[in-house]
Amino acid sequence: MDRWTEKLSEYLDETLPAGERAALEAHLTTCAECRETLDELRRVVDRARGLDDRQPSKDLWSGIATRIGSKAVVSIDRARVPARAARRLSFSVPQALAAGIALMIVSSGAVWLSLRGNGSIQPPADTSRSIDMPAAWHQVDSSVDPVVANLRSTLQHNRAQLNDSTVRILEKNLAIIDSAIAEARRALDADPNNNYLNHHLADVVRRRADLLRRVSTLGART
Amino acid sequence: MPNTTPWIESLREPTLVTADAEIADATLAASGDATAFERLYRAHVARIHSLARRMIDADEADDVTQDIFVRAWEKLSTFRAESAFGTWLHRLAVNVILARRKTVGISRQRHDAREDVLDTVGARPVTPDLGVDFEGAMAALPEKAKQVFVLHDVEGYTHEEIATMLDIVPGTSKSQLHHARMALRRHLGA
Repeated sequence: MDRWTEKLSEYLDETLPAGERAALEAHLTTCAECRETLDELRRVVDRARGLDDRQPSKDLWSGIATRIGSKAVVSIDRARVPARAARRLSFSVPQALAAGIALMIVSSGAVWLSLRGNGSIQPPADTSRSIDMPAAWHQVDSSVDPVVANLRSTLQHNRAQLNDSTVRILEKNLAIIDSAIAEARRALDADPNNNYLNHHLADVVRRRADLLRRVSTLGART
Repeated sequence: MPNTTPWIESLREPTLVTADAEIADATLAASGDATAFERLYRAHVARIHSLARRMIDADEADDVTQDIFVRAWEKLSTFRAESAFGTWLHRLAVNVILARRKTVGISRQRHDAREDVLDTVGARPVTPDLGVDFEGAMAALPEKAKQVFVLHDVEGYTHEEIATMLDIVPGTSKSQLHHARMALRRHLGA
């Protein structure tokens, strides 16, 4: 152990000033003990970075649900979902998209109704707290725009490889999704503090994400 | 070989799609949707519980994890989607953990940052399960050294960030980190 030992962590983290770094590197060429210590420190860092996260030994959700006053104490833990229910997710690609589009149509219709009713549609009855929505929706949509644009571009490029009916469904669904999103954006622009609209758009975006994830999974099987 | 097309591949943006879904769930939860909040809980509980277990005693980790998620529920309206939900939650978790340490006013021997305490950590026998043994050695570190090590080497925070969190200077953070690493190297096995 020498005065250089104290510098080894900073050297490893590349935070040592250039002059000291050069001097330490010169020292390392002649000091086997420091080289060994440096190697051990590097392995400690690697071990720390490779630690796996572990689930708690017991489920903590019920306690949290009680404390937040939730009525939704019934768990959505997938491990408890009956196998028959899980199998219901086995759609074909067109079926999955059609299901997703059905949701979009319903969703966009609800937005339209909300606008027509001048906000007369109230938030869901189980919305227990006064709403204070994160002003995040424009960021959410813009974050997904590249994915949608990429999908459309590659779909055009690769349409010859796909079944005609699948392409038709995809293109139709893309158009409906675009329309639904645009409508929702307009709705929020017109009434940014509408509780129902905020809640509804959040749900639509989540459903879209679920749909994309599902199609992605199905694509892996084809 | 799977017959996949590039456009299908383009859908495989797990990070983007997951982040999108989580922002949506965070917004739903902020409006009182506990089911959406449970989805967020399921997605992040392992990481949060592991953080709590490493920074506080394992027997307190369950309580602290619940405190963190309850606090997150209360603070959801402050989430602005400027970062991923997981990043926001993690930072909130660190704050809750550190605040708990201050409140409890730990006065255990592990608070003692003397060199001989660090030596004791290193003198523990190595068990066949090096992963568990390594975490056990981490748990036995002096309090500040453990916090700095977990925050820097496990969680990836910088010394400047850690200094702010722990109300110390960056040089102290560097020093504590080095001492922690020096103690833990003896638990790497032969």
